[in-house]
Amino acid sequence: MTQDKLDRLEHEIGARLSGLTVERLADVLVVHVGLDNLVRTMTRLRDDIALDFKLFVDLAGVHYPDRKVPFELVYQLLSVHKNHRIRLKLPVDEGVLVPSVAGVWSCADWYEREAYDMFGILFSGHPDLRRILNDYDFHGYPLRKDFPVTGFVESRYDEKRGMLIKEPVRLEREDREPYRQSS
Amino acid sequence: MEQRKEFQNYTVNFGPQHPAAHGVLRLLLELDGEVVERADPHIGLLHRGTEKLLEHKTYLQGLPYWDRLDYMSMMSQEHTWVLAVEKLLGVVAPPRAQFIRTIFAELTRILNHLLFVGAHGLDVGAMTMFIYCFREREAILDMYEAVCGARMHAAYFRPGGVAKDLPEGLAEKIRAFAEDFPAKIDEYESLLTNNRIWKQRLVDVGVVTAEQALDMGCVGPVLRGSGVAYDLRKAEPYDAYDKVDFDIPVGKNGDSYDRYLVRVEEMRQSNRIILQCLDKMPEGDCKLPNFKYSIPKRDDMHSGMESLIHHFKLVSEGFAVPPGEVYLATESPKGELGVYIISHGGSKPYRVKIRSAGFNHLQALKVMLPGHMIADVTTMMGTIDIVFGEIDR
Amino acid sequence: MGMIEGAAQIGGEVANRGFLLTSADKLVNWARTSSMWPMTFGLACCAVEMMQAGASRYDLDRFGIVFRASPRQSDVIIVAGTVTYKMAPALRKLYDQMAEPRWVISMGSCANGGGYYHYGYSTVRGCDRIIPVDIYVPGCPPTAEALLYGILQLHKKIHRTNTLYSGWGESV
Repeated sequence: MTQDKLDRLEHEIGARLSGLTVERLADVLVVHVGLDNLVRTMTRLRDDIALDFKLFVDLAGVHYPDRKVPFELVYQLLSVHKNHRIRLKLPVDEGVLVPSVAGVWSCADWYEREAYDMFGILFSGHPDLRRILNDYDFHGYPLRKDFPVTGFVESRYDEKRGMLIKEPVRLEREDREPYRQSS
Repeated sequence: MEQRKEFQNYTVNFGPQHPAAHGVLRLLLELDGEVVERADPHIGLLHRGTEKLLEHKTYLQGLPYWDRLDYMSMMSQEHTWVLAVEKLLGVVAPPRAQFIRTIFAELTRILNHLLFVGAHGLDVGAMTMFIYCFREREAILDMYEAVCGARMHAAYFRPGGVAKDLPEGLAEKIRAFAEDFPAKIDEYESLLTNNRIWKQRLVDVGVVTAEQALDMGCVGPVLRGSGVAYDLRKAEPYDAYDKVDFDIPVGKNGDSYDRYLVRVEEMRQSNRIILQCLDKMPEGDCKLPNFKYSIPKRDDMHSGMESLIHHFKLVSEGFAVPPGEVYLATESPKGELGVYIISHGGSKPYRVKIRSAGFNHLQALKVMLPGHMIADVTTMMGTIDIVFGEIDR
Repeated sequence: MGMIEGAAQIGGEVANRGFLLTSADKLVNWARTSSMWPMTFGLACCAVEMMQAGASRYDLDRFGIVFRASPRQSDVIIVAGTVTYKMAPALRKLYDQMAEPRWVISMGSCANGGGYYHYGYSTVRGCDRIIPVDIYVPGCPPTAEALLYGILQLHKKIHRTNTLYSGWGESV
């Protein structure tokens, strides 16, 4: 986004949404929201004619094991008519219920399911919170930094028992062990 | 036989292995007679953990994962990654590289839409389309092969340019193809556009209004089919898109037929862009001459020590990217393909989030399907043009 | 022996004697290889190359290969793409549903051994952990020609089996 467009958006947001920290990066505004004002802010961002963020673009979870609040949700919004974007960040503690924005944009539904699936972040008021991408009986949250790349179990077909079984991961090549470690 | 029976709704399991599922979709359909009452797509059957793997690879090693995301439009996916990494590095590719990338991104768009028309035709019952479209796909795959050696997964775009310059004679070959291609599109259209069966299967099937499309996060041809003229190539031009002239086709009713028309017109526009790019393409470098980011020429590696060291450093350790975060999206053939990268410095990203268009479009099936006949399920799945590589990642 | 010479020889023999002599095994194997119907088990990228092999340029139909969507009607399953743990039960079930004799072609690096996704937490490191494989076609993805070559290799393999006497699998 161009700088004068950013200026204008920063001004609009400052005028309409009070009490929020707005950080300005090179080409995008980052709004830091909290659990209590998330849905209200989101609804305002969508409905206000000057902001007009009608399109929910993305929801990304991030895991920072070293931080006091280990998770962060990053929302990306877009206005197709005004052609501007915004990024929202929400720090989330382990086990805390995040209010769902699936009521604001219906497509947030699957994104929240994905964040739950990958990071174990829980959402309150979500219509149908279950795993989406991983296997139905998957254990753990793969995108957390303490989860190894290769995972913990692998499955194979057992001829004797005539069924698929799960076993602990065994890699053929020991020199590839670094992949067992988490980053 | 005077017998009255009470019919109950029943649930049908569609997939995960079904010829019309365009991959590995499992769809639970709750049916009332032949009418779909509720649809619940189960995805993740092709979840390969790309985001996790990307965190463990250098930026250059991670590039080929992007080809494999949406395997119908390979180079368009690379485009997003390459531009995002360039933005993090704060570099801009030389003009010739930008034009080459634009040409190949548009060839890829044609490649994708050809598969859409072909496969959608096949689903709905027009077998000939499949054969016709794959004829032209082979021609484009030959160009892929000429430029990078692989028919599909090219890994041709690189941060800071492209891997190699166009080989001799390829520009003329592309021009010959592009000059010939509009006639081929006419051929497809003569088979489909006014075909009575095609229209009966597509018109007023899967209507998505503009509000619904925005609410469901639809982008690309699906959003444009509903009448919202939003195209990232115009809205946030990247590479050479601001130097060429093209139009954005927009639909009116938001049904499957409009989306088909939008895609066909997009092929014509892509063709226009390719021809303009070929005319305007300057001479010069096709990658950054800075060997901190781009691999030196093979010839120099054979004779020069320094080039060899650069090559070794780049392929083993990779280049370091300054700390920062970036969200960058390009207009892939399916719509907005975005990537959110967080870098904490070093040669590997801290977190990569891939935002794919298909994820939302498949989600929109929940809204589109109810109320339609079960035979329309295949039409609807064809019309949103889904690929599971990018949905499941 | 080339196809045309072979045809000429057979034609000559029929014209001379009015009948052909062959062994039962050869006849069975000839019948099996002449119409191998693969199941469309397209999982990922390789599926596109598989479609490409079936379409205009490579045209698998000329080998009597017609893609079938049902495991009950198919002789060979081409595992084209990455098999994930979530998909593995479905793959096994489909394989079990196929009628004997059945063959498996593993197409592409992912199906052969996990390939680029070998170290991932959700991918099967080779579809041979789930079903027995006859032919491995390398490549990422293998070109349509490579797949064609793999199918011809499978033909050779079938020609080597002695169905009536011994060998693997069920007898006729």
